[in-house]
Amino acid sequence: MALLAQIVVNGVLLGGLYGLMGLGMGLVWGVLNIVNLAHGALIMLGGYAVYYLYTGAGVDPFAALPLAMLAMFALGYALQRWLLGLVIRSAQLNTLLVTFGLDVLLSYLAQLAFSADLRTINPPYAGSNFALGPVTVPLAPLAAFGVALLLAAGLQAFLVRSRTGRAIRATAQNLTAARLHGVNPKRVYALTFGLGAALAGAAGGLYGVVSQLTPYVGVTLTARSFVVAILGGLDNPLGVIAGGVVLGVAEAATALYLDPTYVNVISFGMLVVVLVLRPSRIFERA
Amino acid sequence: MSALLEIAGLGAGYGEAPVLFDVGLEVRAGEIVTLVGSNGAGKTTLLRAISRTVDSTGTLRFDGRPLGGLTPEQVFDLGLVQVPEGRQLFDRMSVEDNLRMGAYRRRDAAGVREAFDRVYRLFPVLRERRAQLAGSMSGGEQQMCAIARALMAAPRLLLVDEMSLGLAPVVVDQLLEVLAEIRRQGITVLLVEQDVFAAFSVADRGYVMETGRIVREGAVADLRSDPEVRKAYLGVH
Ligand SMILES: Nc1ncnc2c1ncn2[C@@H]1O[C@H](COP(=O)(O)OP(=O)(O)O)[C@@H](O)[C@H]1O
Ligand SMILES: [Mg+2]
Repeated sequence: MALLAQIVVNGVLLGGLYGLMGLGMGLVWGVLNIVNLAHGALIMLGGYAVYYLYTGAGVDPFAALPLAMLAMFALGYALQRWLLGLVIRSAQLNTLLVTFGLDVLLSYLAQLAFSADLRTINPPYAGSNFALGPVTVPLAPLAAFGVALLLAAGLQAFLVRSRTGRAIRATAQNLTAARLHGVNPKRVYALTFGLGAALAGAAGGLYGVVSQLTPYVGVTLTARSFVVAILGGLDNPLGVIAGGVVLGVAEAATALYLDPTYVNVISFGMLVVVLVLRPSRIFERA
Repeated sequence: MSALLEIAGLGAGYGEAPVLFDVGLEVRAGEIVTLVGSNGAGKTTLLRAISRTVDSTGTLRFDGRPLGGLTPEQVFDLGLVQVPEGRQLFDRMSVEDNLRMGAYRRRDAAGVREAFDRVYRLFPVLRERRAQLAGSMSGGEQQMCAIARALMAAPRLLLVDEMSLGLAPVVVDQLLEVLAEIRRQGITVLLVEQDVFAAFSVADRGYVMETGRIVREGAVADLRSDPEVRKAYLGVH
């Protein structure tokens, strides 16, 4: 029983982070209708940004998150404005191909720049935890979970209340009408992709603290983000965090009851299940 | 009086296929002008040329200023605002958010508050429904929301496309009354319609378009008594 509780705690905490990964992917998907296969690579880049800010400049990883997010926002904005924007109105296959190519390119460049070694962001409090009844709550994953929730709530408030957030929703719902009311869709799309990349950057930094970074970590993280975005739906940020929690708990249970090596299979397995059970989610957007 | 909107020798189309040929049309400040014609004549295409979402050749001027090289946003900023065919509301946003989107490019908070007051006075039902999702309202209410959204932008010329489409006659009458009131408030209106009866009941002057060409123009009273127009559009022999 205590073991099960522990699994749930671990799964929920990691799941919040998966939710954050799904959030950026779902935002870009919902607004631009792009399934960004390079989303995981953006997460990876954010992770390395935080890693080097910590090891190179001594910036606490949590304090480094805003910096990484800013840099990733700029990268995402530029990518959309000057690369993906050129193919956005063409067939969905083209955006898939371009983002797939981007994923390969970014992973390769990361390997050149950062080497293939495993990296962990290891602040002094990384191993700290506290007891809560029968379970042990690890501090860093708890903080990561808190940051994920905070960012989801912040995104929600931004989309609902701010002028730019309203323009993003309006463009997603009716491009023609948005243009007729003076919205510049190129700018909205670049902002949205920038936001998605910034969220990926934050997720990457947190992932580097609770897990390990390699230049190739992006592929499985893209798959996780995709599953989570579908589970959570494309228009409710807090729902996406809940979707992440489902995946996190499923993975934790698999690691314990089956075998830790199956963990990566879980997201792909759920991908299949999700594609079978909720195809409308996917095709109404396509 | 010089024209607010001045169109002459205008051609437009989609890709290789021309749709409009040598179109001439004028709207003077304070007028309600109607453009009528059957389905597929090219009315919506003309509105798209005006708002610069399709390319065109020929003369296109607003308040003396050529619109040719402008982006849709720039045209919008000049005060040319469209109520598009089929309403095109943001269905999954509240009525109030739809109206806010109409004021998207306005930075004068006080002016926007005033605009809210004005459109809510014009359409009290929208005030009642301001928290409701726009897509969940009746067709008439959606049309009101579309007109109100355009008014939020403080237009100088309101371009209304097929306002009456799919609406009950009593609702159409109500909306025509609103157009007259809008004009009294100083906003010029270009009304595109297939419902010629409705359009003529509110407009000062009219143009008749057939297969991309203007075939008749004049005061509504004259058009009403024109035998060709009576036969083709008013069902009178
Ligand atoms: N987006 C488009 N692409 C290609 N052809 C179009 C498009 N929209 C309209 N057309 C064509 O242009 C012609 C005029 O259409 P339209 O301007 O919508 O007429 P109306 O508004 O008078 O009904 C029609 O033959 C129509 O098929
Ligand atoms: Mg039309």
